[in-house]
Amino acid sequence: MVGQARFTFFGVINAIMLVGVAIATLYPVLYIAAVSLSDTASVSQGQVWLLPKGLNFEAYAEVLKDDKIPRAYLNTIFYTAFGTFVNLLMTAIAAYPLANRDLVFRKFWMLMIVLTMFLNPGIIPNYLIVQQLGLIDSVWALVLPNAIWTFELIILKTFYENMSSQIREAALIDGASEFRILFNIVIPLSKPAMASIGLFYFMGHWNSFFLPMIYLNDQALYPLQVVLRGMLIFNEGSTAGLVDKAALAPQAMKNATIVLAMIPVLIVYPFAQKYFAKGVMLGSEKG
Amino acid sequence: MAGSNTTALRKGGMRVFRSYWSDLRKRIKRDRQLLILLIPCLVFYLIFRYGPLSGLAIAFMDYSVFTGIFDSPWVGLKHFSKLFGSDDFFLLFRNTLTLGFFNLIASFPFPILLALLLNEVRVARFKKSIQTFSYLPAFLSVVIISSMIIDFLSPTNGIVNRLLVSLGLESHYFLVDPSWFRPVYITSEIWTNTGYDAIIYLAAVAGINPTLYEAARVDGAGRFRSIWNVTLPGILPTVIIMFILKTGSMIRIGYEKVLLLYNPMTYEVADVFSTFVYRKGLLESNYSYAAAVGLFEALVAMVMLLGANYISKRLGGSGLW
Repeated sequence: MVGQARFTFFGVINAIMLVGVAIATLYPVLYIAAVSLSDTASVSQGQVWLLPKGLNFEAYAEVLKDDKIPRAYLNTIFYTAFGTFVNLLMTAIAAYPLANRDLVFRKFWMLMIVLTMFLNPGIIPNYLIVQQLGLIDSVWALVLPNAIWTFELIILKTFYENMSSQIREAALIDGASEFRILFNIVIPLSKPAMASIGLFYFMGHWNSFFLPMIYLNDQALYPLQVVLRGMLIFNEGSTAGLVDKAALAPQAMKNATIVLAMIPVLIVYPFAQKYFAKGVMLGSEKG
Repeated sequence: MAGSNTTALRKGGMRVFRSYWSDLRKRIKRDRQLLILLIPCLVFYLIFRYGPLSGLAIAFMDYSVFTGIFDSPWVGLKHFSKLFGSDDFFLLFRNTLTLGFFNLIASFPFPILLALLLNEVRVARFKKSIQTFSYLPAFLSVVIISSMIIDFLSPTNGIVNRLLVSLGLESHYFLVDPSWFRPVYITSEIWTNTGYDAIIYLAAVAGINPTLYEAARVDGAGRFRSIWNVTLPGILPTVIIMFILKTGSMIRIGYEKVLLLYNPMTYEVADVFSTFVYRKGLLESNYSYAAAVGLFEALVAMVMLLGANYISKRLGGSGLW
């Protein structure tokens, strides 16, 4: 049949356009990496286009020499690991009871939770709550205010609802407590769903910049994203914002920091993509 | 007769009432372990989602950190009348709506196009790798994306200006030029979101009944015709719902990116409600005024979202909830 030929004119044009999309997506990332690996002279003379010129790792050595960025890196790792753990725990222990269709006041609890998707009091009231709880300059300020994402909670609740209830009933008859059922049976059986929402939480923490910026004053606590922002913008609100920021910071060093910040994400996302797509789709069918 | 009837009814009512309570008590007792598991979640929502609503009270006060929320004087709508009377208001309103609107219109078609192109690929591996690349940007942080933009547009050695110079054009400092702020912002949004947003359309395309394509082929339709007459009508409901939902959240601008990309030179087009709230409230400690601006923005956003959802439901779609 004509439609099944491998190389039609249409197919070739289509493939070219898609390769164009891939290049447009990848080029900026590759360029950043190339600059981070090039020598200062080539960068300042603007000779780097795609491949590194004068390949060297000086920028990385420079970045890692000072303890500012390694510390920020460790901070980010800690905030991400701890934050994601708290997120997953909180979401799981909330989703499990809510998935039980005859839980007392279930409708009321769900209404109370879903309603918050439409209430957005804004930056200032949120800030004041965190401030009044004395969480400023502590890791809890990054973890507690967003301990549960409503959307992910609904995804996990839907997943639990679709699990067989027979296991739970059998375990209850055997005298197991709900805690044991949740931690020994339900959570181990829901690894794909946990991985999917865990990925969103992970990305949220790793890439978070606004909350650490407003909730942390102590520079020693800054995560990578906030330090990176500091390398871009020197003096907010002053005239320094008007001079060419890119020219002020050593380009290669800045790009080396960007690459370091991207590496975990680049490692995680191809593996995670099946969970990722699943998460997006699960989110679209509501519970 | 009538009397005994009402007593019987009342007794019956009491019985129903009593059995409701004892039933409820039994259910609470039965579910107590589940309720204990639910407590952390409820506490979280009360403190961090409903708690800040009480903080909105400061929009009607002259709040200062020293007097605290209980002792600061009430000033009614002072901050709102200040907002509506100021030039800031018009500027913020215009900037927020303009940026949101143009961003929506300009970026909306791209994920659909990408999904259509991907759907026509017959080599599964090729399709999969392109798709994987295409949503890489969605995983990058707004700081990284913004630093790429600043880097590429640098007048000294940014790649865009080097390209312009090598083409014999003059280099230009895009980020301090107000007329370039929106195009730069919107282009970067398209770059970031196209692949991610295409996922939902690809799923919609996958849901189209394959026999429709066969029927179209039997009727002599080529690739273009079957895209036009089968694929597009097939995903149209999804497209409409997505459009309505995106319209509803139009004014929720990615203010983090604006915050990273704007500067005093481009405030006139770039400053939106959220960035203004951040500057007034957290940098200038003008909490009450900032909270008032934030409250106004939240109300507008809520009305738009509810409106969008209402329209989506009226059109027979599923809506957001």
